[in-house]
Amino acid sequence: MSPLRRIVVWQWRHSPAAFLSGIVIALIPALAGIALLGVAGWFITAAALAGLGLFALNVFMPSALIRALAIARTAGRYGERILTHDATFRFLTNLRKRIFQGQAARIGDGTRPARSGAALNRLTSDIQALDAVYLRLIVPAVLCLVTGLLVIAWVLKLAPVAGLGIAGFVVWGAAFCGYLLKNRHVEAARRQEAAHEAMRLRSVDLVAGRRDLAVYGGLEQSAHAILKAEERLAAAGEEIEARTARFLSLHGFAGQFFLAVTLVLVSALMIRGNLAPVWGVTLILVATALPEVLGALVPGLANLQRTRLAARRAADGAHESDNAGGAEVASIDRKTVTDPVLSFRSVTFAYPGAETPVLSDFSFDIAKGETLALTGRSGCGKSTVSAIASRLLNPQGGSVTLCGQDLQTIPEEELRSTITVLGQKPYLFNDTVAANLRIAMPAATDDELWAALDMAALGARIRGSESGLETVLGEGGLGLSGGEQRRLGLARAYLTRPVLFILDEMTEGLDEKTAKDVLDRFEEFRGDASVLMIAHKRMEIDRADRVLGLRDAEKSLAAE
Amino acid sequence: MTGSAAKGAADTEGQEEPVADLVPAEKRLVRRAGWLLSISDLLWIGQAALLSLVISEFVAGRPQAGLLTLVAPAAVGFIALAGVRQWLGLRAASAARSAARAVKTRVRTTLLNAIAHSSPAASLPSSGHVAAMLGEQVDALGPYLGNFYPQQFRLKIVPLGILAATLCVSWLAAVILMVAGPVIPLFMALIGIRAKAASQGQQEELTRMSGFLLDRVRGLETLRLFGALGRTEAEIGRVGEAFRTGTMRVLKIAFLSSTVLELFSALGIAFVAVYVGFSLLGSVTAGTWGAPLTFGGGFFVLLLAPEFFAPLRAYAAAYHDRAAGLAAKEKLQELYSGIVAQGLQSGPPEGSAKADEKPSAPAPRQTHAPEIKLDHVSVTFGGKSIIRDFSLEIPSGETAILTGPSGAGKTTLLDCLLGLHRPDSGRIFIDGKDLLTLDLGRWRQEICWIGQHPRLFHGSLRANLLRADPDASTEDMMLAVRLAGAAALVESLPRGLETIIGEDGFGLSVGEKRRIALARAALRKTAGLILADEPTAGLDDQTAIDVIAGLKKMAAGRTLILATHDPKLMSVPGTRIELDAAHLSEASA
Repeated sequence: MSPLRRIVVWQWRHSPAAFLSGIVIALIPALAGIALLGVAGWFITAAALAGLGLFALNVFMPSALIRALAIARTAGRYGERILTHDATFRFLTNLRKRIFQGQAARIGDGTRPARSGAALNRLTSDIQALDAVYLRLIVPAVLCLVTGLLVIAWVLKLAPVAGLGIAGFVVWGAAFCGYLLKNRHVEAARRQEAAHEAMRLRSVDLVAGRRDLAVYGGLEQSAHAILKAEERLAAAGEEIEARTARFLSLHGFAGQFFLAVTLVLVSALMIRGNLAPVWGVTLILVATALPEVLGALVPGLANLQRTRLAARRAADGAHESDNAGGAEVASIDRKTVTDPVLSFRSVTFAYPGAETPVLSDFSFDIAKGETLALTGRSGCGKSTVSAIASRLLNPQGGSVTLCGQDLQTIPEEELRSTITVLGQKPYLFNDTVAANLRIAMPAATDDELWAALDMAALGARIRGSESGLETVLGEGGLGLSGGEQRRLGLARAYLTRPVLFILDEMTEGLDEKTAKDVLDRFEEFRGDASVLMIAHKRMEIDRADRVLGLRDAEKSLAAE
Repeated sequence: MTGSAAKGAADTEGQEEPVADLVPAEKRLVRRAGWLLSISDLLWIGQAALLSLVISEFVAGRPQAGLLTLVAPAAVGFIALAGVRQWLGLRAASAARSAARAVKTRVRTTLLNAIAHSSPAASLPSSGHVAAMLGEQVDALGPYLGNFYPQQFRLKIVPLGILAATLCVSWLAAVILMVAGPVIPLFMALIGIRAKAASQGQQEELTRMSGFLLDRVRGLETLRLFGALGRTEAEIGRVGEAFRTGTMRVLKIAFLSSTVLELFSALGIAFVAVYVGFSLLGSVTAGTWGAPLTFGGGFFVLLLAPEFFAPLRAYAAAYHDRAAGLAAKEKLQELYSGIVAQGLQSGPPEGSAKADEKPSAPAPRQTHAPEIKLDHVSVTFGGKSIIRDFSLEIPSGETAILTGPSGAGKTTLLDCLLGLHRPDSGRIFIDGKDLLTLDLGRWRQEICWIGQHPRLFHGSLRANLLRADPDASTEDMMLAVRLAGAAALVESLPRGLETIIGEDGFGLSVGEKRRIALARAALRKTAGLILADEPTAGLDDQTAIDVIAGLKKMAAGRTLILATHDPKLMSVPGTRIELDAAHLSEASA
């Protein structure tokens, strides 16, 4: 199923009632608009004939009908917009959730790709672009279809020959849409996006790397490279916009061409006396109103390739089924923590695409309460061990057990409350201090949060800020230094009560004094939990009960 | 409408030239687009006349009117006019596009020139912000200039033309249109003011919500490690729902304003129809210039009525482009003024280097280790005296190790040698020549520089290394990589030297970046000066030892200035110069 169709099906399944009612309501203004012009034409012709004494006319009915149609068209349009937009936004809200689920499922599947910020950025703008699927494609398409068929049916009943002009226009419109739906224009949309991306990446590099560029490569050359990308962007944009303009004018011309054809056919019928002038005029006015309804689909179709790209990425990024994540049951009994707490048996792991495995036939145990330091030069797989132990990566061979249970079989909730990972740089959310801490323990009271902050020697710093626990961290908020961020990570960890801590180069990038402080505080609250410490600093290694050197397979080529 | 646009421009007056205003050539193009669009619209009057002519013959009961003598020529004329109209429309679109494209390119060029010519040590807004400005914000100028402006022009011409044509047939019909028309902007303005404030808030809300989702997806690993995925999912749903409610509130107001527009245009058409109908019946006799309204005249007026309102609707639809465009204009101006306020370097920093030239390669000559002399140099930065009256002489090929606590001015000193800062007093001599007289672009090509936070650029590892020396061979690169202790690292990358790194590429750790940066510096074989700023920070012992060994090798036959406080680096032979913050800037302390 094409991604675009998948999005349509998802929206349909999300709420069939909203999906249908939007379309049904949208028919009111479309039909009222056509009827308004038709009735007006009929009315003035009838009036003219009645004025000549050729026609008996009850004037109040049609003039009331004209006003009623004018109001129906306006009110219907308002109702349609509200309904269709609401339905779309409800669906997009749901889609955001599914995309989050999809991304979450991805980090556990053992591949852990180097996630790119640009791809994520694009994902959010893609979700926005997907409002076009229902609003600009589905609703106008159904409108065109239903309106076209109704008008053709009416004309065929009235004067089959005159219907040829209108039918010709509808058939032409369908063929035109079919042509636009063809995949041949996707290239320009892709080029435009690539150029936009190149421009963004190069701009970021130019601004963030001005010192490096001044020495290596030159600033003007970089600015010039951005303008090269902008040139490609403008060329692709020009192509797309020029094509859209051509579509629009082609469509406009076709509408008028078939209007002229209808005029000739209607005239021929009237000359032969096969069609009363009242209906002839009505037909011509209906023919003038029809292109507007069919034209509603053109903008959506002109933008189709952009929408398609967005649909493909969003559909790939989202979770297949609507509600993932069932309840999981906890199972490890804390009281009976068995030795060894963590055990690797002949574990093998290779990153996708890498020639040699990072780990092969790797085994070790960590006893209850023990601190094991894992050392080795950078790039030798220390962090891979940490990722496997915390089930962010799955080994390709061997087995890992936690408290005697196979790591793969432990329910997620249980696993997370059994292991706490303290990494190089804790990820701090652009949210309040309290929200950042409660990630570890949602039910924590403010007192508990303060205790954790005090424990991490951050209490004074946060109390000093005006909004206290409600202080927002990150961009536009409270800027914490590297050491303070690490300590907030500690505070977060303090709120958990795990059986095993994994410290992954926790003091990396901290100066000696801060590093010692962070380690001391950790020692204070870790209690009898075991610790797997990924380390390369003497100070860290000295604290371990046991040191395990991770042999690097490659030889040191540097010195020679 | 134009009044507030002019006001926006006036706000920025008195500074430097406004970045996003139209130059005369672009103004001409936009005006041309407006004219073409208007003429195309006004040709409908001719088409409507043809249609009414044909139809009135039948209604008047003259079916003898020939199919060939009247209908066919009228139909051909109608189609010909339609062709001309579409052609004019295409020309208008093309003129508007050219204008928009020219403006966007010009604004980007101006901003990029300002960035390229500001000092690399100046502080600019975050790179993401600048990239968004150059991208989306400049893009927002396009619809504003290419769509809104011509529509505004059209609005001034077309309704008047239609009104004039209607007036020729019936003054009462013209009055109906005249009453319904101007009432619309009034009501729309009343509703629109509220909608504008609300929609601006909602736009920020959207940015915030996207940011929220992005932030949570980025922190997925953390959320997973703390078992907080399910809770976050619920939160995303809640935030999204709140956003939807807010959006719908804004849209209800926005839709109301377009509903008013449509109601009045529909009522306007309906009243014209009713008036025409009753005139033809004979119930209304007023409204014309003497003779009673004919069917042809009535039909003609009815056909014109929708076209009277069409430009208004198009203008209302384009009004959103105006808001976005004006906001973008303001932000771009602010960014530009901010950059210019930092001070542009007088004359192009790259000297005579043209933008299209390849990154100027170091002149192919023997490595020459320069002699460096600082003569009573003082540097103030951000109002703080960083270096005071500092003198230093490093003979050709010697090594100087700058030590001292952070904040003592080590990095500032290196920046001065790179020509990123200009000393407030005192002079810097390179081989006896004043640094200020040198072509800085060329001078920087003769330095192996290893910064404290080296930046690698989006592209392959190879492309990154080639920035140091565009003519380097693969062997040269591997040699440099080995020297930097990064051979194992490069081999472990998925595609070796071809691996895409940097922004949006394979993530390298701090230590890995530093080693690649060292390799980049080592590739500059003909450069005679090495400036290294904390080259071992963040490296584990073993890697640091490798890096130091590489640095020692590179230093042979070169002048080396090393800023560090890593005791391991003290094994590098050379003169130790203790930079003491107190000694250098006692006055400011």
